[in-house]
Amino acid sequence: MTSRARRIVVNGTAHDVDGPPGLSLLHMLRDQLGLTGTKEACGRGECGACTVLIGGVPQLSCLTLCARVQQPVTTIEGLTDECLDICQAFADHGGFQCGFCTSGQIVHAAAILRDGLPADRTEAERVLRHKLSGNICRCTGYAGIIAALLDVAAKRTAPERDPVSEAIP
Amino acid sequence: MTARYLGQTVRPINWQDRTSGSARYTADLPVADVLIVKVLRSPHPLAAIQSIDTTRAAAMPGVHAVITAADFPAGARYQHEGARDRPPLADGMVRFVGQEIAAVAADTAAQAEAAARAIVVRFRRRRAPLTIATALGAGSTSLHDRGNGRPNVSKVLSRRWGNADAGGDAGHVSVAGRFVFSRQTHASMEPNSVVAHWDEDDQRLHLWVSTQAPIFVRDEVAQLLGLELGQVVCHEVFVGGGFGSKSRISEHEAIAGALARKARRPVRLVLDRNEEFETTKSRHPFHMDMALHADQAGQLCLVEGRIQVENGAYDHSGFSVTSAGLKGLGLIYRPGGIKLDAELVDTATLPGGQFRGYGTTQVTFALECLMDELAERLGRGPVELRIQNANRNGETTLIGARQHSAKLRECLALAKQQIGWESLHRNRPEGHGVGIASGVHLSGSYAERDDANRSDAAIDILPDSRIRVRFGGADAGTGQRTLLAQIAADELGVAIEDVDIVTMDTDATPFDLGAWSSRGTHYSGHAVRLAAEAAHEKLTAIAAGVLANGSVSFADGKAWAGDRSIPIGDLAALSNEAVDGVLTVEASFVETQVARPDPKTGLGNMSPSYNFAAHATHVAVDISTGRIRIVDYVAVHDAGTPLNPTALHGQIVGGAVMGIGAALGEDMIFEQGKLVNSGYMYYALPRAADVPTIRSFVVDCHDPVGPYGAKGVGELGINPPPAAIANAVYDAIGVRIRDLPLTPDKILTALAQREGRKRRFALWRRPDRWWIALVRWAYPRGLFRWLHAWRTHRPSRVAPPELEELASPRSLDEAVSLVGGDALPIGGGTDLLPRRSQGLVRANRLVSLIDIPELKHIGVEPDGTLVIGGAVTLSTLTVSPVAPSLLVEAAQTIASVQVRNVATLAGNLAQANRCWFYRNGFECFQRVGPTAPCYAILGDHRFYHAAIDGHRCQSVTPSDMATALVALDADLVLRDGNGSRVVPLRSFYVGPGETILKPDDIVVAVRISAAARRRCGAFEKLNLWQGDFAIGSAAITAIIDDDGRWHDIRIVCGAIAPVPWRAIKTEQALNGRRVTAPMLRQALDAEFNAAAHPLENNAWKLDALAGLCERAANRLVEIRGNI
Repeated sequence: MTSRARRIVVNGTAHDVDGPPGLSLLHMLRDQLGLTGTKEACGRGECGACTVLIGGVPQLSCLTLCARVQQPVTTIEGLTDECLDICQAFADHGGFQCGFCTSGQIVHAAAILRDGLPADRTEAERVLRHKLSGNICRCTGYAGIIAALLDVAAKRTAPERDPVSEAIP
Repeated sequence: MTARYLGQTVRPINWQDRTSGSARYTADLPVADVLIVKVLRSPHPLAAIQSIDTTRAAAMPGVHAVITAADFPAGARYQHEGARDRPPLADGMVRFVGQEIAAVAADTAAQAEAAARAIVVRFRRRRAPLTIATALGAGSTSLHDRGNGRPNVSKVLSRRWGNADAGGDAGHVSVAGRFVFSRQTHASMEPNSVVAHWDEDDQRLHLWVSTQAPIFVRDEVAQLLGLELGQVVCHEVFVGGGFGSKSRISEHEAIAGALARKARRPVRLVLDRNEEFETTKSRHPFHMDMALHADQAGQLCLVEGRIQVENGAYDHSGFSVTSAGLKGLGLIYRPGGIKLDAELVDTATLPGGQFRGYGTTQVTFALECLMDELAERLGRGPVELRIQNANRNGETTLIGARQHSAKLRECLALAKQQIGWESLHRNRPEGHGVGIASGVHLSGSYAERDDANRSDAAIDILPDSRIRVRFGGADAGTGQRTLLAQIAADELGVAIEDVDIVTMDTDATPFDLGAWSSRGTHYSGHAVRLAAEAAHEKLTAIAAGVLANGSVSFADGKAWAGDRSIPIGDLAALSNEAVDGVLTVEASFVETQVARPDPKTGLGNMSPSYNFAAHATHVAVDISTGRIRIVDYVAVHDAGTPLNPTALHGQIVGGAVMGIGAALGEDMIFEQGKLVNSGYMYYALPRAADVPTIRSFVVDCHDPVGPYGAKGVGELGINPPPAAIANAVYDAIGVRIRDLPLTPDKILTALAQREGRKRRFALWRRPDRWWIALVRWAYPRGLFRWLHAWRTHRPSRVAPPELEELASPRSLDEAVSLVGGDALPIGGGTDLLPRRSQGLVRANRLVSLIDIPELKHIGVEPDGTLVIGGAVTLSTLTVSPVAPSLLVEAAQTIASVQVRNVATLAGNLAQANRCWFYRNGFECFQRVGPTAPCYAILGDHRFYHAAIDGHRCQSVTPSDMATALVALDADLVLRDGNGSRVVPLRSFYVGPGETILKPDDIVVAVRISAAARRRCGAFEKLNLWQGDFAIGSAAITAIIDDDGRWHDIRIVCGAIAPVPWRAIKTEQALNGRRVTAPMLRQALDAEFNAAAHPLENNAWKLDALAGLCERAANRLVEIRGNI
């Protein structure tokens, strides 16, 4: 078995990663970098809990071999600022209960919201539910997650308010 | 008290941790020098263990300890409800597939796994009673000696409440039916996990366990390991869901504890998802013969039932689940009498355990379906009949339950109004229906132990004026921590941000039994309220002295008298009870309104309050495919006064969706005692797109005994959905289905029966099928048993090989030179990598094809031919402007966004079959060769197996892209060392997921001709959840001329035969005609009947396929019309 070091950028920091060819990105993140926000719930690509962004694209870190990672990786720990509004909305709408799937939901949602959702709320919900179907949540029945993300999407696309005109009744 | 937080929308107190990834669950804890544990489990449902040899395993590299039953005190057994029938590791017998036999702690997971495989166990297999019928049949092997003279009957329970001789009188109306509630598993997102550390210095075992009830874990581990209670301590950790499964001890805790002691090192045991499915104690299946009798005015006279409960291999909570289920039948309505007989039957299968709803879920399904049947017989509205019979405020039910606040009637009325019952009944599309069901649950059952009516809590007032609440239960996601913080903050006038909650720590937290039986809100709410009130009193007394004028109030973390104030931390320090400046107040709440039910009669008020619900749903049943879609769903609950609305509705909605899962798809399927659908991919739990947003409401209610008027709500949401949906389906199509889940096969089979449709396949005229027919005939007559016994005599336990090399060539030439032999090409890896870890692929060298530009190209050649590179991902395909819409439609149904982002077109086409026997560890023909049986012939083949052309292996080619591309006459460009060749896709497949690819072949591209691209196309698919593999799929392409006539037709059926199946005769029959759906159906049915040879239970797939083709044809006409 050959062990080869390679350089992977995670959350903006380059890491020299050493490991066997079969090493998954998930185990590298958790065991070598201590980034345990990315969860292992099934380990075989069925549940979405381990979703990370690779080059901005949501992928399953359990099915990603480290040796094939070329683009920068972003985990939940690297999305704290960008996703603050999502996290708050999850808290306000009941978007999580046990929280174990939440990292995967938020990481995936970050990518979905970067692409944007349709303006029509019904259509936005349909698209969102379809896209998020790869992220299983066993607690919430999804309602809180969907409500939170529709709320964030609407707020993010709302035109900047003019503080002056708002101040004048 | 000023209610600043209670009743308000409050963010969960640890929302930042839970949303930022910083919350540490058991598997996330950094533990120095931790060893990894793997468990050796039984491959047999019933066998005597003749010997266990761990010598080789113990000597393997990295191994620090191996344990067997001999490492526990002799006769060690779980206590549970007193049966004491299950050892922590099997000693003498194994009684279900997956039972723990031995365990290994090693430096790495791979070392532990290798050592576990190296343990040699000699079994003597016994005939295993795998169903209730065989367990109770003559000559069945008895699993345990229960001392009651009835083999495999663990317990019997008879209940007679009220006038149990009523009913059946002249003039009474009776309805009856046999209902089956199948096995559901919790599937918590966090697998069961534990870290165990034996501290030599203090001679104590420290545990960090994903649990809902630390005290039960402590008590069981202590007695199993022969330790004093004080020698086992649980510590606080985040818990990722439980739903009841973690409300008693599981099995990993004691194993980890024993290994930590033996190895003198900390150990970590995290179940993998397969173990989680195979060994988490499931919901008990109920088989219920139920009847309702009412007088002509609709008053219920008698609820009658004979119930068989499948216990599984060991007694855990089977008796109390049965008992709770029977009581559940006496809580919703006010019948004159109740007459129930139940037996708990041992089978050599996964033991049942605690699951949200706890027996009441199962009986509610039967009761609430029968209420609809009764309403129909009486010519009454289902809502009105329920309202007439509903329990009322102030009454005590037949079983002794005192109703302080029963608002079921209000729930029913609001649910009816919110779903739009009247207007839906006046005007609803064909196939649409509306249904309703009631439900009831407790706020903490006074059961199990004498102290189950008690909960303690402590409050510390710290010098910095922060409040620390210490509480012994565990919050697995219910929001209990936040609720307790709300109570403490309001009672003591501090900001919720200044409240810390400590839970689960058996050293630091006072007595509480944990989160189960929906007891959290009532018991912990009152306990913390009492502690806070006592703290308030003490602080008030001190403040009165310090501030010395007027009455004292608390706000902003200070005590106030007039405009003078003092921080409560300073006040606490002034107390003569303060230790190091910290004032601690403990309180014990004992609920005096409850009584343990009399064991003989079951009578007694076992819960302080009872919460009610009515759920109503609007469904659409697609009679062409049998698929049920939830159009709208309303859940109305009587939960007392809401204390945290977000958490309250979260519990209701989450419970409802779990109930919808049980109604529509969730079912643990076993074959020869082994779980078949082990894993999320095979277990149809709802995904986001499978359910609408549940609309949740609460009715006005204040419970006089609940904390601040509240009642428990954690479980009830799961009870009404199965009956509400079954009732709505009956309303929609007139078919009453009494066994869950309501999968499409049951719908279509019932419709065919009702319409008297029966397909005839005339096998006697088809000599090519005679051999297969003969083998299928011989299977249940001994052939299967012989093959199975032969194969499982020595189950193979070969470790998947380590990956040795991964090459990433940048050119096709280089890739061609690298593949072949034991080097396989890998695209996205979404099939290959799981197959490697399942031991289905032995290759240890992989050649990555995703960095080769020419494989990632999509382009149109000058003659209009579309060329799609083999490494183009499905996601890329879905956004390509030149991809045929048919292909895009098909791609969007596959798996998930994350999978499609990496899965390649070639990988999708070349994926291996998805048979759930083959994939989930069955030693089948496809996996091990000709001497092995095909488990699908007698096993569950309703969904994913062939109904046409099934041969030695009954599986199908799973690729949806193949179905779509065959309809586009696509060609494949293959490349090996000798150059390129082009093969038509339809001759690419030679069997289920089997292709003509040689080991050194690479799929370079897919080519679609200009002529094929000009045809209209539509794709339709039936599956059990969004992203599931096809039960059936249909792709149709054709040219439709201006006269509406069809030409150049391709009709391709997926997942119905070993390879994508073209309905060529139908294509010919329709050519040149103006195709209508009935015309297509007629031709297709004739062709199916001439070609099909279904297994016993999958002929319905032909109806589904015909339905999918009809739908596709209709869409094709629409698409043509839009051009």
